[in-house]
Amino acid sequence: MSNNMLEIKNLHVKVEDKEILKGVNLVIPRGEVHAIMGRNGSGKSTLSYVLAGKDDYEITSGEILLDGENILDLAPHERATAGLFLAFQYPIEIPGVATMTFLKAAMNAQRKARGEEELSTPDFMREVKTAAASLNIDNAMLKRPLNVGFSGGEKKRAEILQMELLKPKMCIFDETDSGLDIDALKIVSEGVNSMRGANRSMLVITHYQRLLNYIVPDVVHVFSDGKIVESGDKSLALKLEAKGYADYDKGAA
Amino acid sequence: MSIKLNKSEHILFEQLVAAGAKNAAEIFAKSGLPTRRIEQYHYSDLHALLADIPQVGEQTKQVSAPALRIAGAYRILMVNGEVQTTTVAPAGVDVGTIDGGVLSKRNDVIISLNNALSKDALMLKLTNDVDAIIHIDRRSEGDASHINGSVKISLADNSSATIIETFSGSDAAHLSNNATSVSIGKNAKATHIIVDLSSKKARHFHSIEYDIQAKALLHSLIVHSGSTLARTQLFAAFNGEKAHADLSGLMLVDDTQHSDITIDVLHGVPNTTSTETYKTVLRGQSKSIFQGKIIVAKDAQKTDAKMMSQALMLSDDAQFLTKPELEIFADDVICGHGATCGELDENHLFYLMSRGIAPEVAKSMLVRAFLEELFDPIKNEIIHEALESIADNWLT
Repeated sequence: MSNNMLEIKNLHVKVEDKEILKGVNLVIPRGEVHAIMGRNGSGKSTLSYVLAGKDDYEITSGEILLDGENILDLAPHERATAGLFLAFQYPIEIPGVATMTFLKAAMNAQRKARGEEELSTPDFMREVKTAAASLNIDNAMLKRPLNVGFSGGEKKRAEILQMELLKPKMCIFDETDSGLDIDALKIVSEGVNSMRGANRSMLVITHYQRLLNYIVPDVVHVFSDGKIVESGDKSLALKLEAKGYADYDKGAA
Repeated sequence: MSIKLNKSEHILFEQLVAAGAKNAAEIFAKSGLPTRRIEQYHYSDLHALLADIPQVGEQTKQVSAPALRIAGAYRILMVNGEVQTTTVAPAGVDVGTIDGGVLSKRNDVIISLNNALSKDALMLKLTNDVDAIIHIDRRSEGDASHINGSVKISLADNSSATIIETFSGSDAAHLSNNATSVSIGKNAKATHIIVDLSSKKARHFHSIEYDIQAKALLHSLIVHSGSTLARTQLFAAFNGEKAHADLSGLMLVDDTQHSDITIDVLHGVPNTTSTETYKTVLRGQSKSIFQGKIIVAKDAQKTDAKMMSQALMLSDDAQFLTKPELEIFADDVICGHGATCGELDENHLFYLMSRGIAPEVAKSMLVRAFLEELFDPIKNEIIHEALESIADNWLT
């Protein structure tokens, strides 16, 4: 067990010959919640996809350690069973895959990786119902195909439901506040806050300070042009909200 | 004028003569097997594909295990074309045999061969609501044989029934040529499922005819998951107003399998509706073909027909060929068609994997999702589960 849940060391990433991440360094100690703020196009979402292991990105140098283990050679499902969870900015709609079937497959995959028995159907139902109730997710939503016909808020709540059921140790939230009204934002934030704990770390990626009123971070990082350019406590987020990102533009910082 | 017959055609000619089908033999000598120049066989050139013709099938006591078990069904076994056993029929079902040759005469060699060589046909008369599933278990058994079998089903007015026909048998290079004729009476409801699970050495042909009367409802699903060469041709004719048919099919193909579903839907009277939904999943170097023809007659106003053909390619070496043909002679109709062909969606796969689901499990889930549209409307749980098991077996 490492003191640091996530360590990103000098990460450089290219997409079709264009360098997007230009030397990201980030350490998130066990139990801490960090936020990354940056304007659109600064590479924030690329960072979240690279952490989750999506194809289409060429990692030219650097390391990513999850709880002390290098995960760069792991496939997405192996990273997930190692305890990494990405809440998507745009959760994918998959017609024909029932939400419950998907949840069961995902939970059993985690259990299999830990060498545990598959969940019994009654235990599975109980876990899902309990977690769903606290997120205002009703049965009708669970009966639909995965994310199909869900509103923006429903999709984000469904992501948090998955997180609660899979109990990851490193959670990444990619623009989780986008598309949420204030009520949905509260529900989602409460779900996230209830998951905070000494053995779980979180990385909240956003470009609005608003979310950080609800999910209060230990550390705030400013992301610009493919790397972290400043780090500080939560007051940094307020400063950004007031002054914008202009100070960090190339040559100005 | 006769053409020069190839070896297979020569054997078929001799078999027709030996069966006493002189007229059919003479006609066959003029056409031979269909080549790619015959539109309906353009992608399934039987002159080239049928490299050998086995001897005409005989009765045999060797019967392999059922390829698909339908719990609680009323099962009728047909071995090498002959009706073998029948237990006591449920209420509303009359079982008998009639002379073979149940299909309408068409300019089609496979149909004329079946009409000429099929001796006896199973005759099912369904007189009211039949609760039990009727399972017609059609087998090609013993050594490789040329088998002709036929079934005629007649649903009386206001009756309803669920019928599943399965094709399977011994692991031999059979050539089976099968016919099913179904007439659906006024206000009757039929669900007709057809599943080919024949040996991967077998050549399977099936011609299906539907006569759809006024206010009748038909749900038809063809599944190909066996045979090295499988071809089903379906002819559906609306002969009464306010009837509706959902016609559907699935080809699961792998290795070098060749699978073909060719349909011909005739909206011959006003106010009838239909959907045509055909899908295929391909692996290996397989090939599947869907040809869909919809004809709307001049008087058939207010016809509404929607045809869709979709392929999921799991291999770069597989081939899918699809061809819609709409012939519309009426002027107040809705008639559409579409086709898609693609691979599994990478974003779907990534999303499932990002939750810990292994890639092979994720792929299976996505293939199953692709099939859901075909299986979902089958409300009978036993048949639904049987269909799921066919998909599972194919995927694992």
